[in-house]
Parts: sequence; C-alpha cells; structure tokens
Amino acid sequence: MQKEIIVASSLCVRFNNQTVLDDVSFKVHEGEVFALLGGNGAGKSTTLKTFLGTVLPVSGNASILDMSVTDEIDSIRRKVAYLPESVTLYGHLSGIENIEYFLSLAQITCSTKAIEEALKRVALQENAWHRAMSNYSKGMRQKVAIALALLRNAPVLFLDEPTSGLDPNAIDEFNQLIATLAAEGTTVFMVTHDVYGACQIAHRIGLLDNGKIVGMFERGESSHIDTESVHSAFSARNKR
Amino acid sequence: MSIISQITRDEWRFWKRTKIATTALIIGTLLALISAVVNTIEMEHATHEREHLQHTSESRFLEQPDRHPHRMVHYGHYVFRAPSPLSIIEPGVDAFTGTSIFLEGHRQNSAMFSEQRQASGMTRFSSLTPSFLLQVLVPLFIILIGYASITREKQAGTLNIMITQGVNLSHLLFGKYLALLCSGFLMLLPLVISAIWATTNGESVLLTSSFVAGYVLYILIWSGLVLAVSAMSKKSSASFAILVGMWIVFCILIPRIGSSSAAALAPSLGKLEADFAVLEELRKLGDGHNAADAAFEQLKKNLLAKYEVEKIEDLPINFRGSVAQYSEKKLTSVLNQFAEKRMEEELSQAQIARQFGWLTPTTAIRSFSMMIAGTSLETHHRFLREAENLRFEFVQSLNKIHQDTLDYQADINRHNDDKAARVNASNWQVLSEFSFKPDASTVRLASSTPYLIQLVLWGVIVIFGLRFAVRRIS
Amino acid sequence: MKFFSNITREARFLFKQKYLVGILTAVFALSLFSVWSGLSEMQTQSSTIERLKEKDRVDRENVLAKQSGYGSAAYYAFHLTYSEPSNLAFAAIGQRDVFPWKHRIRMLAIEGQIYETDADNPELSFLGRFDFAFLVSVLLPLFVILLLHDLRSSEREAGRYDLLITTAVKQKYLWLTRAFVLSASLALVLLVPFVIGAVISNASFVGTSLIVLVVFAHIVFWTLLIVWYTSNKMALKQNSTQVASALLSVWLMVSVLIPATTDVAIDKMVTSPNGGDILLVQREAVNDAWDLPDSVTWDAFLATHPQWKNYTDMGLTFEWKWYYAFQQVGDQKASELSEKYRQATLEKDTLASRLALLSPPMLTQRLMSSLAETDTQAAMQYEQNIRAYHNSLRHFYYPLMFTRAEFSLDKMSELPDFSQFSKK
Repeated sequence: MQKEIIVASSLCVRFNNQTVLDDVSFKVHEGEVFALLGGNGAGKSTTLKTFLGTVLPVSGNASILDMSVTDEIDSIRRKVAYLPESVTLYGHLSGIENIEYFLSLAQITCSTKAIEEALKRVALQENAWHRAMSNYSKGMRQKVAIALALLRNAPVLFLDEPTSGLDPNAIDEFNQLIATLAAEGTTVFMVTHDVYGACQIAHRIGLLDNGKIVGMFERGESSHIDTESVHSAFSARNKR
Repeated sequence: MSIISQITRDEWRFWKRTKIATTALIIGTLLALISAVVNTIEMEHATHEREHLQHTSESRFLEQPDRHPHRMVHYGHYVFRAPSPLSIIEPGVDAFTGTSIFLEGHRQNSAMFSEQRQASGMTRFSSLTPSFLLQVLVPLFIILIGYASITREKQAGTLNIMITQGVNLSHLLFGKYLALLCSGFLMLLPLVISAIWATTNGESVLLTSSFVAGYVLYILIWSGLVLAVSAMSKKSSASFAILVGMWIVFCILIPRIGSSSAAALAPSLGKLEADFAVLEELRKLGDGHNAADAAFEQLKKNLLAKYEVEKIEDLPINFRGSVAQYSEKKLTSVLNQFAEKRMEEELSQAQIARQFGWLTPTTAIRSFSMMIAGTSLETHHRFLREAENLRFEFVQSLNKIHQDTLDYQADINRHNDDKAARVNASNWQVLSEFSFKPDASTVRLASSTPYLIQLVLWGVIVIFGLRFAVRRIS
Repeated sequence: MKFFSNITREARFLFKQKYLVGILTAVFALSLFSVWSGLSEMQTQSSTIERLKEKDRVDRENVLAKQSGYGSAAYYAFHLTYSEPSNLAFAAIGQRDVFPWKHRIRMLAIEGQIYETDADNPELSFLGRFDFAFLVSVLLPLFVILLLHDLRSSEREAGRYDLLITTAVKQKYLWLTRAFVLSASLALVLLVPFVIGAVISNASFVGTSLIVLVVFAHIVFWTLLIVWYTSNKMALKQNSTQVASALLSVWLMVSVLIPATTDVAIDKMVTSPNGGDILLVQREAVNDAWDLPDSVTWDAFLATHPQWKNYTDMGLTFEWKWYYAFQQVGDQKASELSEKYRQATLEKDTLASRLALLSPPMLTQRLMSSLAETDTQAAMQYEQNIRAYHNSLRHFYYPLMFTRAEFSLDKMSELPDFSQFSKK
C-alpha cells in the first residue's frame, strides 16, 4: 500500500450556521492525481481552502503528510504548492521576476538557470520571460504559476479549476505535465466541475454534492475513468 | 428624461443598501447641523456681549466727572467689533484678530485679546465651524458617497449592458450627478437654514442667497470631480485612491502652502519694526504735551499774528490746547500713513494666498465665503480705520474743548490748583456712538467677484472633465 | 539574517511599483517644502530680532541723549524684549504666529502694554501654516492609511491572497515586513529633510533626536493600528475602500472631531476673566489717580515698597516719582485679574495636554511644539520674562527718582539688558 499523503477524516465546516462540508472523508496516496468533482456550491473550494489553512473545520481533521492543518499549517505550507483558479501574479513584474519573488517568499533560492529550465518545461515562449506580466494571456500566466509550483519542488500540488479558460492545446499540454509530475511522485489534488477533464487526468475522482462525498470512481490499469458513468452520476445529482 | 430619474433613483437605492454611503451622509448632515447650531449660539452670544461691552464703555466715558480735557484724551475709549450676521457660518479671521481696540490720544493701539490667544490651541487644524465642515469635510463625504458611482457599474459589467441597451452615456452621468448632488445639498441644508436665520437678523437677501449660491457651486464642483474621476477610473479602488489624494491636495495642502508661500514671498516688517520709523517721524513733530517744544514755534507765531497779540498769555484761546490739536493732527497723519502701509502689506500677503484659489476650489470658496460674510481681512482693516476715525474725532474734540473752554492760566497752574483746571463733564458728550456695520451688500458682492470667477473656472473645468469622461468611456 | 533578507526582498519588490515611488516622492517634496518654509520663517524672525536690537539701541541712545532727568528718560525710552526662536522652531511654528515674540515696553504700567500684540497676518494664521509639525501630525496618518490600508485587501482583490499565504513561510511576517518597509521609507522621506534642516539651524542632537522619536512614534502608532485593523476578522471581509473608509473615519475622529470638541469643552471648563477687563481696571486705576489725593497713591504704593516711605514728599510741580507710583499701583490693582487670566491660559493648556492623549495627532503636534519651544508654555514664559525685565527697570529707576539723583548718561549705561532675562 502506498503512503497516504492527503487525508480528510469526517471534515465538517460551517459558515454562518450553514453546513458547507458534512462529514467528508477521503485519502489521496503518493503519486496519485485526485480530482474532487462537483457543481457550483458543492463545497469543492471549501475543501481546498481547508487544506490550505484558510478555512478552519469545526470538527474532523484534515492532514497532509501526517501534519494537521489546524496545528501545523506553517510546516504544511512548505510542502505544498498551490495553483489558483485564475492566476494573477504581479502585473508590474515579469514572469521571471514573479517567480523569483514568490520563491524567496518560500525561502527557496534558485538559480536563474533553474527558473529558465522550469519555464521551458512548461513551454512558456521565451520572448515573454522578461515582459511585464500585465500583458500575458491567461494560459501564459498559468504556465508561470506551474513553473513556480515545479520550482518549489513541493511533494503536494493543489490545483483549483486548472483548465478552465484554457484552449484545447493548452489543456493537453497541461494534462501531460501533470501526468509526468505524478509519475515522478508528486501527489496532486484538484477541484473541478469539468467532468471530461477530470476523467482524462485523474486516478480517482470523488463526487461532492451539497457538502457530502456521494461517489468515488477509480481508473483501471490502463484506461481512463469512464466519462459516461461519472457524467450520469453527476447530472443525476444536479437534477435532483 | 425618465432614464435620468431612473438612474438617480437606482443610485439612491444602492446607497440605501450599502453602509458606507448612508453612514457618510448621515454623519455629514448631523455634523453640519450640530456645528450650525453651536456656532449660531456662540456668535449670538458674542454679538450680545460685544454690544453690551460697547454700551458699557460708552456710558463709562460719559459718566466721568469734571476733568482736565487732556485727561480724557488719555482716559480713552474702547470699541468692539460686532460680528456680521453671516459669521454664524463663516467666522473668518474673527478668532485670529482681536475684536476690541483701546482708543487713546497719541497712539494707535492694535486690536487685542484674540480668541485664539486664549484658546486651547486644539483648533489650529480643524474647527467645528460650518464653514470648515462645508469647505473641507463635505468634499470628503461626497467622495465616500460617490467614488464608485461609475466604477461599480464597470466592475459589475452593468455599464456595458446599459450601453448595449442604448442608454445615452450623458444621461447616465447626469442621473448619477443628480443623485450625488442631492446628498451634497442635504449636507448643505443646515447652512441654508443658518443663512435664512442670518437674513432675519438683518442680512440682505441678495447677500445670503449669493452666499448659499457660492456653496451650491462648490458642491457642484466637487460632485462633478468625484463623478469625472469615477468615470475615468477602471476600478473603484483606483477611483477612491485618486479622489482621496485629490482631497488631501485640494482641501488641506494647497491652502496651507498658499499661506506659507505668502509669508515667505512677501514678508511683512511687522508693527514693531515699523514703529521705529513712526517714532522717528513723531519725534520730529515734537511732544504735544510740551507747548514749549521748538517744533511748535511756527504755530505760536501764526497764532500770535492771527490774534494780533504779543504773548501766549494774551491769546483768547488756550495755546496748550492748540498745540495738542496741532500735534495730534500731524501725528495722526504720520500714524495713518504707516498703518495704511502695514494694512497694504497684510493685504498683499493675503492676496498671494488667495491666488491659490486658481489651484484649488477650497481656497476659492474660502475667500468668497469670507468676502460675502464680511469676515475677511478687509473688513477687519475697515474696523481698524473706523476705530481710528472715532479716535481722532473724540481726541480732537477734547483738544478743541481744551483750547476753547479751559483757561490758559488755570491750565498752567494745574499742578497747584487741580480743581480750577477742569471742564464740565457735559463736554464728554463729544464721544459719538460706535457701531460697526458690515460693508454694504454691493461692496461685498463686488469684492467677492474675483473668487466667484475662480469658482466658475473650476465649474468649467469640471464640465470639461465630465465631457472628456463621457468620450473616454464610449 | 532572515529578517534582513525579508526586508530587502520586500523593498526591492515594493519599489518596483510606480505609484508607491510617486507617493513617497510627493511626501519627500512636501517635507522639503515644510522644512524650507519653516527655516525661512525662523531666519526672518532671527534677523528681525537682530535688526530690532540694533535699531532699539540706537533709538534709545538718541532719546536718552536729549533727556535731563530720570523720569522723562524712563518715559521716553523704549526697551526691546524678544523671544528668540529655538533652533528647532523651524519644525513647529506652533503658537508663535498667535502669541507675540517681540515687544517694546516702557516703564509705564506693564498691564497696559503687555497685551499689545505684533501678531502675524490674521488671514494667514487663519489659513494655517504648512510646517513640519503639521505634516507629521495631520497628514502623516493619511499617508500611512494611503500606503497600508490595502496591504491584504488589494492582494485579495487581485486573487493573489491564497497563493501568497500558501507560498510564504510565515504569512504574518509577509504583512509585517511589507508594512515595515512602507512605514520605514515613509519615515525616511519625512525625516531626511527635517534632519538636514536641523543641521542647518544648528539644533541640538538631543532635541533633534527627540523630534525624530516623536515622528517614529506617530508612524508606529498608525502602522500598528492599520496592521491590527486589517488583520481582524471584520476587515478580512471588507474591500480596500471599505477598509480605507473605516480608517479615514478614525482619522477624522482623532484629528478633527476630538480636538474641536475638546476645545469647546475646555472653554467651558475653565473660566477666564475677560482680557479687556484687565485693561479697564488698570486704566481706571491710573486715570483716577490724577483726581485722587496723592496720599491714596502713596499708601497703596508704600504697601508694597515700604523702603521709600520717607521719600514721598511732593514738590510744587509735577513729580515723576508720583507718576510712576500710580503706574505701579495701576498694575497692582490689575495684577489679580491679570494673574487669573494667565492662570486660565495655562490651565487650558494643561487640560489640552491631558485631552491630547485622546488624539495622537494633537499629542504629536503638542510634543513637537513643546520640543521646539513654540508652545503656549513658551509664550507664557516669554510674557513672564517681560514682566521680570519690566520689574528690573523699576528697580533701576526707583532709587534714582526717589533720591532725586543727578541725571547722568553714564548711569544710564547700567540699564538692565533684556538678554539677561531672555533665558529661562
């Protein structure tokens, strides 16, 4: 059995007396790509934020690498890289400068060469490296953010709706990259409402509805998760 | 037309549902109301007190017993400057100038006991006067209410929806402008009430209405500025930061920079230093107490020739009184010459500071407001001049009594026979009543015109700004 | 080590933002202007005093040369008194534009002379001066608010907040470091012109450091307030402008409303005699003396100056010693009122200094003008110096007049000099 990296056990989160997460439990293993799938308002982002330590659970526990988010969030953050939904880094800085700044926030020193290699790996065109990010496209901004995540060398990667707003080519490139990272041992946790995208990339999918895990899908040895079955479960939930 | 009122009403609804705008509006109106009431009470009190003191001072003078007339010249008299009716809104320089002057022979005293000198020193930046509130704080409240009026539509995407639905941008802006103006006028309401109060207290309707009109223009300017900046900004936060920056610069910085520049550019010698020159001039005139002073030789000769007598003793008039009259006249003309010069210096300093009205509407409205209210430096100077006229008049009347009524021999012997060297107390009636009236309304309107022009210019700038904003959005 | 690397990182990061550099440059320019105008004002005041001293000396020599008796010499000779601006006065003009700092007096009743003011242009005083103390006490909070209010909210609005706090090793340090860099650079641009000004005007090291300390304290107060406010739960839900509005209302409260209301309260709490009454009492006393029997004046005079009881004989003509005696009596009669008036001024000042604790901007302003010796206390001290000097003139002239000493110009060179009284 592989190591359990991300663990949610009976997570409950409440906002203004409204239950947002109700007894949510799941485990993500090392090198696994786990997608939390759900409609608007299902509680995906809340789950993500709980692991990032910006939302506190009222009961239950969330832990990463055996560290609890409620007690050791600072240590957790050293091990975690996060890719927000719409990446807006500092517009007045160039891609490289942004990476340098965020790396130094994480107290990581990196040679310029390493940064350039990372940017090459995410396939950001070279003529944009030194331009101010305010005139990057969404895909380019995302690439910079992924490069940053790569450079942080974090064993755990959190993704928030990573493919929304990207063109099909960019999505392919992205999926490829995630697959490679997972193969190298990075644990990936993503939240999305894109059924097709999740099935393409994830090893396992948890279906979240109204704050509860209502289904779990696992991919076979060599095939992707069956889109049809996930889709029918998803839309059945959403119609109700 | 209905689109405009629709937009105005929608803006009101938005304010009603968001906290900042309503809070700012309520606080602003309450503050204006409180300050209007407090200031009205205080100024009414001051008016009565000064009228009472003026009265007391006059009756004291008249109640003096039989005396040597020159003693009354030194006994002197007090005059008080009664505040103008509109000073309940705009006290102007009132707190910084003394409001009373001691008038006596041979001297021009300055106004003494300014309120600031006895104040706690806490109000050097701010005060709770309606004018400070309206000139400095109300713009800030207008900013807080209106900074997002256009940017919020941009950020929510509703602006594009409106445009694609065929809403005319000018109508949109005008509707928002109306909504913003209404909130500004609500804060102006206490001022209008105070102005009506001032009218019932004898201020001319023409003046009070132009006073209010000036402030209405000021509100129009600031509301327009707020709207223009909001229309030209992409985000609410940017619009807010720019507007607050503008507020700091216009309402706080430039007026003070104007005052500091005026002091640095046109340094005034100060009364004390000018007094050296005055004294030097005066010494040439001779001491009026000493009739034997060589300076009065010519006067003596003239008088002896006129009455065809040989000796002073034979003159039908009291020579000492003539000398007193003669020297007081000479001395006063020297004193006036220097006083005028000093007032001119002060005025030219003030003029420099007021030119900063071209750079900020706040200085423009302040000058306008002081001019109309009759609480400007010019009014204070007129008070000084009128007090001086009164001083000269009663001193010379007393000197004339000295000359015509008091026997020369008795006068010479006054140290031995004090009683004989006196005149009847009924002579003290020469003192005329002093009642300081503000300038006529035409004068005040005329002197406020340059600052009205400054305000109008700002109005024009705002109109252009709004038109530019409309073009930029479309 | 880590601390410094954090600082250099944030400094390098923040100063790439043009608007920040713009704000800081503007503040630097304002500080420069305030220091320059303060220096030029104090330069003018110092040179005015120097000029006046010379003119005063020449004038007195001319006058005295024409005199033949001590009585008339005392009557005609004026004496300059002055309050030199301290070396730090350029930074805080304080009350120097309301209270007089130069005065010429004679040996007549002091109460009739001391309230004469050679005050500044009232319209300029009304508009207010732009001195360094104003910049620091009133505007500085606005600058701090402008720079720091959107510390977190701007990141949240730009969607970087979560990324930032998940990336930073300790998020608290990130905000603190940014706040520190901004406040420190604000302090720097404010203080550099001031320190240059202090060097130019030869201010003492201790005084300069104390003012620097006051400026720091005021910046730290507002920085901590803002950092505390922006990190509380309520502010975390507000957007930048809501945060700024809340902070602005705090500023409005402490720098406008509290001072204005405490002023009214202090005015109500302290009853002060009407200034005009002092003059009135003094005038009645001096004028009545001419009509009263000499003995009334002498009795009142001898009550305080018994040493002259054998010298009150009156000649046939006018006697200067009697004239000055009733001037003295006039002062004595007005002294109670005058003292009450002075005490009321001081009491108001004391109350103001206590109530200023409610308003950091006012406290800053008061501390600065206190250090610069331009506050009400200093003005009252100057007034006392004038009184002491006037008294010394009386001590000089009385023996000469009462003993009917022969007038000699040599003796007049022993006239007391104000410079001995100008220091505390």
